[in-house]
Amino acid sequence: MISFVLIILASLFFTGIIIRTKSITSGRKGPGIFQPMQDILRLLKKGAVYSKTTSFIFQIAPSIYFASVITAIMVIPLGAYKGIISFEGDFVFFAYVLGVGKFFNIISALDTGSSFEGMGASREALFSMFAEPAFFILMGSLALLTGHSSFQQIFNSLHFGSSISYVLGILATFVLTIITMVENSRMPFDDPKTHLELTMVHEVMILDNNGFDLGLIFYTTSLKFAMYGCLIANLFMGDFPLYLTIPIFFGMQILFAMAIGLLESFTARFRMNHNAQYILALSSVSLLIFLGVLLILGLFN
Amino acid sequence: MTNVLLLIFTISLLYLGIAHRLLTYIKILAVQGILLFGIAFIELIQINAVNLTLILLETIVIKTIAIPLFLQYIMKRNRITRDTEPFLPNFISLIIITLIIIATFILSNTITDSRISRIFFVVALSTLFTGLYIIATRHKIITHVMGYLVIENGVFILSLAVGNEMPVLVNLGILLDIFASVFLLGIFVNRIGDELKDVDVDQLKSLKD
Repeated sequence: MISFVLIILASLFFTGIIIRTKSITSGRKGPGIFQPMQDILRLLKKGAVYSKTTSFIFQIAPSIYFASVITAIMVIPLGAYKGIISFEGDFVFFAYVLGVGKFFNIISALDTGSSFEGMGASREALFSMFAEPAFFILMGSLALLTGHSSFQQIFNSLHFGSSISYVLGILATFVLTIITMVENSRMPFDDPKTHLELTMVHEVMILDNNGFDLGLIFYTTSLKFAMYGCLIANLFMGDFPLYLTIPIFFGMQILFAMAIGLLESFTARFRMNHNAQYILALSSVSLLIFLGVLLILGLFN
Repeated sequence: MTNVLLLIFTISLLYLGIAHRLLTYIKILAVQGILLFGIAFIELIQINAVNLTLILLETIVIKTIAIPLFLQYIMKRNRITRDTEPFLPNFISLIIITLIIIATFILSNTITDSRISRIFFVVALSTLFTGLYIIATRHKIITHVMGYLVIENGVFILSLAVGNEMPVLVNLGILLDIFASVFLLGIFVNRIGDELKDVDVDQLKSLKD
């Protein structure tokens, strides 16, 4: 329960910090950190205009997308404290609930009948497909390492004993960070600020959404960032008491947002046809985590 | 700590598979030199001081500084283009290198010799095969030499695993470095650019009576 509230709180300022970091690195002062939230509030107050060629799918998709992310957030624990939903194997549930949201996002983009949106949908599906094995190999190895299969138990019993397990923690952070960038279509894989439809991934899928729906989609992006930030923060909590976990949580969220801001300021976008191999490299890195876990457990003796 | 450095070394192999530019290859080779310095320092701390100093100087001075700088100089002097020009797409290279790592891991599992450290064996063998793969699938001569340098790093790791008992093996590994520098000098002296120009068969077509 506590993690749900904290993630909602973190989502309010997360994108603001990214934008502020980007502004400062490019020599500007930048808007306040709650400016993206105010923009979203303005959008939420508006109505929505629907094209006549679209069907009901286009109208329900943003709500399902938002609901899927909220459901996924309910699964995530905070250190020793369970999420609202917690059961054995809930990380599979987590991944596929997000998948349902993404599926509806994709078919709503196809529903508009715009050629640009179909292209973006195809790319989004491809990139998510390559990011999925990385997430499952990572969570699978962590489950193997701890001997448990729900988020709360995995993170609770994840201890850093030997030096090799510190590397596993750092590698897991790296993999989760890049997965965040892929899932949110951020800088190395997609440029959210681009103005050319041919090179967009996520932005081109929501070209026809407006008003309330657009606000919902923007807020969902913010929530997803805070959600992955919480997953990363969980790697470093263990079974600490609450007065330690909450500062760690907010510290990690702010650090994560600043890291994303810096990454976006200083890297150029990958060429579109090279994206797939960079995302697949993530699976190879998580495979190395798996081999590292096997070495720790001595299963390969 | 050794395990950490070895894992980072393996990640550098994956990066080697998807790199597009020769400059990136050179940087990776330099990073591998630093990693080998760390591994050698931790593993060989027990052998005598003169030999240890020699090995450490070799890793840090030759592998990390001299060879990368020399490669860069050759690239500039011989006007070698900056692309790596693989025969296969990098995407397939990445999959194959991953498969190589998995295969060596499974192979090491079948070997039941308790005297050799398993992680050293896995990393050394996968480095060897990755080097071979890079030699086989890249177009330019200078990339072949870089692949040879990667192979040689693999041999060095394998010799480090038994270095405490047999320091001679490490010194033999260093000799391979000298062999590689002879290759490099050959490229340097003969001003070989992207590929050997004098075996251009197309020139024979103009021979007519």
